[in-house]
Amino acid sequence: MRPGKTGESTRMASSISLSIDSDLDKVAHIARAVRGVCSGLLSTDDADAVEISVVEAINNVIKHGYQGQPGQDVEVHVVLHKDQVVIDVIDHASPMRTELLDQASEERFAFDETNLDEVPEGGMGLALIQMNMDEVEYTSEGGENRLRMIKRVA
Amino acid sequence: MLTSELRNNVLVVHVGEKRVDASKAPLFKDEMTKCIESGQNQLVLDLSGVDFVDSSGLGAIVSCLKRLGPRGNLAIAGAKGAVSRLFTLTRMDKVFTLHDSVDAAVAQLSA
Repeated sequence: MRPGKTGESTRMASSISLSIDSDLDKVAHIARAVRGVCSGLLSTDDADAVEISVVEAINNVIKHGYQGQPGQDVEVHVVLHKDQVVIDVIDHASPMRTELLDQASEERFAFDETNLDEVPEGGMGLALIQMNMDEVEYTSEGGENRLRMIKRVA
Repeated sequence: MLTSELRNNVLVVHVGEKRVDASKAPLFKDEMTKCIESGQNQLVLDLSGVDFVDSSGLGAIVSCLKRLGPRGNLAIAGAKGAVSRLFTLTRMDKVFTLHDSVDAAVAQLSA
């Protein structure tokens, strides 16, 4: 992990950048670091929401983007504003199909709980991100993918 | 990562990791499968020492429930904070019975 605190010139904003290589064992470190950075600004529930979203986003990059291949880069940029936290998860893997994110919602969990076959064992990550964050946007440009997740301060 | 004990014919499985995430889910599933294949079908999963579960961890818990089949029970004990919130948010609190304590879970399953 390479923490690098940078003083941002933007008024009322401070930012921190972290990076790991594509190893699932390292996701917890970066998630705890992001949580720590946001903790002064967010309630415990909102910090929980940010933590799970960051974990799901990075897991998706490692498992699906890089297909489990080690030694690839995953960067996380966190910018704290007075009224919101903006988190970018950046990778250089094959881009995700944007409709996957657009279609992800709480509908994923509208299963019939009396029918065990319907209860999902996977494919929950993007839905959890959509449900836990206030805004989610995915862009892919010049080989760089960026998942931007925004949590507003309650 | 798991330890277990038999109480009133209910197998109580304690999780010895603070996080059950994508890096730990495969091992969790393997060890739970061994518990299930040992012939136990009334299980309590003690999550009181766990402070974070992601969708991979949750999926692994669901797959254990499916493996148990219709005659088995898998109750959750001690889920708190972010873990309890994840069960509610994903409606898994309708699939699993959540208990505040292992004692309460064992009492219900052995009744």
